[in-house]
Formats: sequence, C-alpha cells, structure tokens
Amino acid sequence: MIEIRHLKKEYPTSTPLRDINADVREGDVIAVIGPSGTGKSTLLRCINLLETPTAGSIRIDGEEILNPGCDVNRIRQKLGMVFQSFNLFGHLTAIENIMKPQIDLLKRSRQDAYDRSMELLRRVGLVHAALKYPDEMSGGQKQRVAIARALAMDPKIILFDEPTSALDPAMISEVQAVIRDLARAGKTMIIVTHEMNFARSISNRVFYLDNGEIYEEGTPEQIFTNPQKELTRRFIYKLKVLEIEIEDSSCDIPGIYSQIADYCSRNQIPPKTALRMQLVFEELVQQILMQELAEKHIRFRVEYSEADESAEIIVEFSGEPFDLEKTENQLSLTLVKNAITDLRSETAQDEVLNNRIRLHVRS
Amino acid sequence: MQRDPGRTLCLVLCGLLCYTSPIKENVDHGGPGDKSRDEMKGNGKELIRVRKKRLFFLLTAGLLFLLLCGCSAEKKTVPQSYTSLEELEDKRIGVTTGSVQAMQAEARFPNAEFYYFSTSVDLLGALKTNKIDAYADAEALVKFMMPENPELTYIEEPIAGKMKAGAAFPKTDQGRELCDQYSEFLRNIKQSGEFEEIQNIWYGEDESRRVVPDLYNLPGPNGTLRVAADTSLFPFIYIKDGKTVGADVDVLVRFCREYGYSAEIVSMDFGGILPAITTGKCDFACGGIAMTPERAESVYFSEPTYEGGSVMAVLKAPDSAGDNGIFGSILTSFEKTFVREGRWKLFLKGTGNTLVITLLSVLFGTLLGFAVYLLCRKGNPIANKLTKAFIWLIEGMPMVVLLMVLFYIVFKSIGIGGLAVSVIGFSLTFGASMYGMLCSGVNAVDWGQTEAAYALGYTDRQTFFRIVLPQAAQHFMPSYKGQVVALLKATAVVGYIAVQDLTKMGDIVRSRTYEAFFPLIAVAVIYFLLAGLLIRIVEWVIGKINPKNRKPEEILKGVKTHD
Repeated sequence: MIEIRHLKKEYPTSTPLRDINADVREGDVIAVIGPSGTGKSTLLRCINLLETPTAGSIRIDGEEILNPGCDVNRIRQKLGMVFQSFNLFGHLTAIENIMKPQIDLLKRSRQDAYDRSMELLRRVGLVHAALKYPDEMSGGQKQRVAIARALAMDPKIILFDEPTSALDPAMISEVQAVIRDLARAGKTMIIVTHEMNFARSISNRVFYLDNGEIYEEGTPEQIFTNPQKELTRRFIYKLKVLEIEIEDSSCDIPGIYSQIADYCSRNQIPPKTALRMQLVFEELVQQILMQELAEKHIRFRVEYSEADESAEIIVEFSGEPFDLEKTENQLSLTLVKNAITDLRSETAQDEVLNNRIRLHVRS
Repeated sequence: MQRDPGRTLCLVLCGLLCYTSPIKENVDHGGPGDKSRDEMKGNGKELIRVRKKRLFFLLTAGLLFLLLCGCSAEKKTVPQSYTSLEELEDKRIGVTTGSVQAMQAEARFPNAEFYYFSTSVDLLGALKTNKIDAYADAEALVKFMMPENPELTYIEEPIAGKMKAGAAFPKTDQGRELCDQYSEFLRNIKQSGEFEEIQNIWYGEDESRRVVPDLYNLPGPNGTLRVAADTSLFPFIYIKDGKTVGADVDVLVRFCREYGYSAEIVSMDFGGILPAITTGKCDFACGGIAMTPERAESVYFSEPTYEGGSVMAVLKAPDSAGDNGIFGSILTSFEKTFVREGRWKLFLKGTGNTLVITLLSVLFGTLLGFAVYLLCRKGNPIANKLTKAFIWLIEGMPMVVLLMVLFYIVFKSIGIGGLAVSVIGFSLTFGASMYGMLCSGVNAVDWGQTEAAYALGYTDRQTFFRIVLPQAAQHFMPSYKGQVVALLKATAVVGYIAVQDLTKMGDIVRSRTYEAFFPLIAVAVIYFLLAGLLIRIVEWVIGKINPKNRKPEEILKGVKTHD
C-alpha cells in the first residue's frame, strides 16, 4: 500500500531522516517509536507531504507521490491525519468539522454528510457534543472529533501523530479506546506514540526509529520483549549506560569516582544502589583485577534500567581467563558478593576484551 | 453674546444626562455572578450594550465638561482695549499664514509674539476668546466684520501702506492672454463707473442688493474657465444661499459675459490657490489675492480689484449695553448658523461629501488591501517587496501631504476633481491598513488549522477562504472598526484639495456668521453621529460573521435531524 524507499529529509541544521525504507500493507497497524527528535513525526508528515522530502521515493497504491505532476490533494484525501494538537477548525461546531470536508471535497450532499457525521460521532461517543465548538470541549473530546473527521473522508490509511501526547492522563484512555476500536475493525494505521504499552497492545508491527532510519523493525513481542540491537534495547528498557575504559594502571582513579557519582545523580539512582556500584568498582576493578591481571585493559560498564530500577555491571578485560574465586584478595570478593545478587563469567574468543563478568547489583 | 448661549446649552445638556444616567447604572450592577457559560453568552450582548451606553455617556459628559471650562474661562478674563500701535509692541498678535498683513505686521512689531491662523474668522475667534491681543488684517475685511461683531474695532493708524489685491494668472502664454483681457476689462469698467457701483453693492450695508446673476448659466461660447478661489473671504467671494457670490464673483461674471466664457469656481483653501494655478489645475484665481513681489515671480497679476491699508483689529473696552437675553441670543445664533441663507443645506452637503468619501474609501480600500494581500500571500518576493515599499511610502506621509501630492502632482494633468482624488488617496491608506490587518489577523490563526485543512485534501485557496479567513476575520474585525472611524475623522483635511466636506462647510459658515460655537458644535455632533452610525454598521457585520452567533437551526440548515 505504501512503499518508502531511501527517503531523506534534510533541514539546514539537521537531518531527521537519513534513509528510510519501509512497506505498509493493508490492515497493518504500525507503531512508530523512538527517542524524541528522531524524526517520527517528520516521517508521517512526509508521507502526506506536509513536509517535502529531500530525496527518495514514496509510492501509495503504486503511485509515486513525489512526482511533480502528482495531485497532492487527491493523495491527501486517501490519508487521514490526526494531530497531536487536534487542530479542529475553531470556527465550526463538532458536527460541522466532520461535515464540511465531506461537502467541500467529496461533494456529498449536506444530508449524507450529516448522516455519516452523526454515525461517526456515535462511534466515538460524542453525539451529545455535536453542536459544541472546539473551545467548549475537553482535549479528549476534541481528539475524538478529530478522529471522526479523519474517518469521514473514508481514508485508506490513518496517520496518528502522537494523538495522546497533549492530553491529561485522565483523557488518554478515552482516545486510546477509540483508536483500539479502529484497529479491531481492520483500519490500516500508522501511529507515532510514546505510550509503549499502548503501542505494544495495538500494533502488529513496530518500527523503532533512530539515527534517521528504521533502526529495528519487528512484531511487538520481538521489539518489546527481545530487542536485538543495542539502541533499541536501551530505549525499550530505558537503559542509562555508563562506560569507563581503563587502558593501564596509570589511569585517573579519582576522576572515575566522580564520573560514577555524576552518572548516579544525573539518573536519580537510589543512593544505596549508587554506593554499591562504587563498591563494586573499588573492590572488583581496583583491588582485584588491577592488582592481579597481567594486561590491565579493562572496560567497566554500568546499565541502569529506569523501567524496573535494576542495575547491571559488566566488566570486560583482555588476556587469559581469570577465575574470581581464586583471587588472593578474598576479603574484597566477599564485599563484592554482598553487594550483588548474581554473578556470571563468560569468555568470548574473537573479541579483544575476551573475558566478561556480569554482576546484578542488589537493589 | 456668544459665550452665553454655549454655557446655557451645556448646563441644560448636563442636567438631561444627570437625569437619564442612573437608569443605565442599575442595569450594569446586575453582575454575572455564578451564571453558567451559556447564560453568560446570552447576556453578553446586553452587557456590551450597557457598556456602550456608559461609554457614550462618559464621552458626552467629558465633552460638555471641556466646553463648560472653555466657556467659563472666557467669562473670567476682561480683555483690555488698545488705542495706539505703540501699545501692541510686545503683545500677542495674530496673523493669517503667508498673508501680506503677516509680513507687514512682522516688520512693524519685531518684539511681538506672533500666532498664525488660516482665516480671518479664526483670527476673530482668537481675539474674542483673548488668545491674542490684536490681529493684523485688511482694513476692508475688519470693517465688514464690525457690524456683526459689536465688540470689534480697529486702530485707525495703518501698519503699512496700501495693499493691492487682484486676480492671479499662470505664467503661460494662455495665462498672459487671459490676464490682459481681464485687466483690459477692469480698466474699462473702472472708467465707466461700473466698478464703483459693484463696490457699493458689496461693500455697502444693503444685503438685498448683494446678488450675482447668471454665474451658473453663462453661455460661454469661448470655453469654460476654471477659477480657483477661497470661498470663505467675505465680501470678495463667499457662499450665500448655497451659491458662490461676492464682489470678485460679480466682476468675474460680468467679465465672462463680455468675453464669452463660462466659469466654474473651484473652492479650496487659500494656501492651495497658487499651486492650483501654477500646476494648471485651474485657469486663474481670484478673490483677495494680495499682490506681492514674491508672488509676482510665479504668477501674472491683473489690474487690482481691491486697494486698502492693513490695520490692527482689537476689542472695544467692555460695555454693559446690548444684551437681549440668553435665549434670545441662542435663537439668533442658531438662526444665523442654520436657517439664514439656507445654511443647513451646506451642512447637509458637507455631510454627504464626507460620507461619500468615507464609504467609497472603505469599500475600495478593503478591496485593494484584500487584492494586494492575495498577491503577496504566497510569499512572491517581487509582490512583497513592492507592497512593502508602497506601504512605507503611503504610511510615512501625513494624509494632507499625500492628498496634495496626488492632487497637484500625480493627477495634475488628468482632469479629475478633488472628490475623486480624496477617494483615491483614502482608499490607498485604508488599503494599506487593511493589508496590515489581514496580515496580523491571518498570523493570529494557528498554523495547525492550515495543516489540518491540507491534510484533509483542501487546496491552498480553499484552505485560505474556507478555514483561515473566517477565523482571521474574528481577529481583525475589531481593529477594522477602529480604522473605519479613524478614516471618517481623517477625511476632515480634504478641504485642502478643494473638496467641500463637513469640516470645510463648517468653516464656510463660520466665515459668514463670525461665530464659532454653533458651526463647530454642529460639525462635531455630526461627526459624532456619523462615527456612531459607522460603528453600528461594522458591529452588525461583526455579529453577522461571528459563527458563534448562529442558532442550531442555521448550523444544520438543510438537514433532517432524526433525533
């Protein structure tokens, strides 16, 4: 239905979309997720040409819409759009907001337009608000009218641009319910959203956008429970990562402590967990590894997940495998073991830092 | 005499207002309290109406207060009487701008403080209200004013030698020829005694003899002469019974009859007369144009039609005689201003002209502003730059200057009248402000509205007219209303380019009655009413185009609702 190839959008100061390739099939409900500023909205706005792409190709039903001769307005009628800020026409009542485009653009009679509008208002549960003006409605009501307005044009695809971002928490569910209802009815939709649970429950495919491309794509299960790529994982688990690399014994130890302290306070890591992280660094890296290893190339990495407030420490180093249990410094090892709940050692043959110890910090 | 009717009238009006105002107060105090939104909306109109009434009341009260202050201030000062020129050495002296008397007085009284006015009537008014101690004017003019103004007199000793006035002609071959004909004619009638007879009629006391026959039905086989004149110079040239008459007009008509011309008098401010003939707008000018060497450089002068000295006019020492009662004097003033010689017709005609200029300018200006906005809307760089430069040009110029530039320079050679030039000038300025209002109105509409319309498949044009404009109108209409009223008031300067609008007509009446009160108040009240009318009309339109004023039936017009 929609084929996007090598889509690129460049602004003078930034390039939100570098190289987007995607296919949307009939009946797809696609959730587009990703960190802010990665061009999710820009992608939607390129599809209905509210933004003019710099390069690439977008085909809708086989028709190239970036051709200069293409009738943009006819294409846009095939694509409904629901905005973050609703954008209901302020001078018209709810019912007129839905009727007017049908009369103006689809040349329906006033009666037909009215009947269809009332049917849609009933579907979004707002028959009673038909004669209200946008500034007399709540955010959730406005967004439901906006959805009805988009539906009234009988679009093949509906694009949702963060439909619940501007809403009070109490109103999010009423709008989500309407969108869920549409998904059940088999409407093709692309939804840009920050609500992960909503994205997961409604979509059949998820695009994770980062670095100006679709960084990872998959079913909700793949993306949300088992993301394959690093950035996706960090995003899904809301991981905050700190990485410190030690090349030899002459490194700046006090500087490393202040780096860890900074990282902890920046990510609001509970003080107890923060202390334990420092302790692991001091006892494991400083007291055991740096004393006993032949090659002192060590990478110390902390991953803190905001989602479940758990912290994991990964220590990688080069050289011969090293069995912690056999360390000379049993006191430090005991201290480390008190601070963690789980410890695993692995070796990888083909990497420079071939030894890896994973520790789960006690919380 | 004059101060009494004004003050009494103010007191009466104040009393009336005090009587009616408490009723309005009561309505306003029924505040909205905890009423629901819908109720509020219903009451909104009522509240606005009450507020408007209140504003009206305050404005009127303010105006009356000012008048009252003016009237009572007048009463307090007792003007001093002067009998010799020496006494005036360091006093306040009024003159008409650019007149011969101004130059003479400036030379005679180097230490005096000078005030510049545009007509003799203003000088008289200033003298009566003690804003100046004396004014310099032609002896004849002061003499003519004295019967109507018993407190006026002048110092016998002239300030300078005799002054001559005559008709002025452009320095072209045609002007020379016409000037020679005119001078020849004047010499002839001076010889035959006809000239003296004319002078007896117009400078004499008998009002009934002052008639000019035939100005409007001259056969004119040799063409029509366009004659520039300031028609507020009694007795040279002035308006009586709605017709232009006066000593100079009498001469003019006789001249035309003799030489086979017909004549059309183009009325304008004195300051506009010389430019009008030097630019060829008019064929020549007559009516008390003093001959000075400087003027003689740019125009030809005919034989003099008037010779006289310049004198200083002062007030007589106050005497208690001759007060025929307050209401008697109000009635006389009123009769003089409105009834005598059918002067109400002048006010009517002036009002008509003012309204025509205002309404046409609003209409064309709105269309112009709209058209220009549509051209510039999509950001066409050429159209935008041109518009910007043009608006800068128009808005950077005082309205009077713009009008005169249009009248004397731009449309110099095309034969269009002052009325048309005024409409063009004011359409341009109104167009410029309309453009500005559209820009800010459209900018006030959230860009999301446009995007939503585009996303639904509206074309750019449809989006602008059906979605953006109706909302922008709600933003710019309130300032539109203000602009319309501002325009109405701005039209008061069209007198400069020979249009007899309301203000000019007030001046003309003032120049005949030598009274400021009724003509000025009448003009003010008419402007006030016109402004009120225009505000009503625009507000009605605003109410009509506000979508929220529609009833549910209108919203769902042509639709069968099943529920």
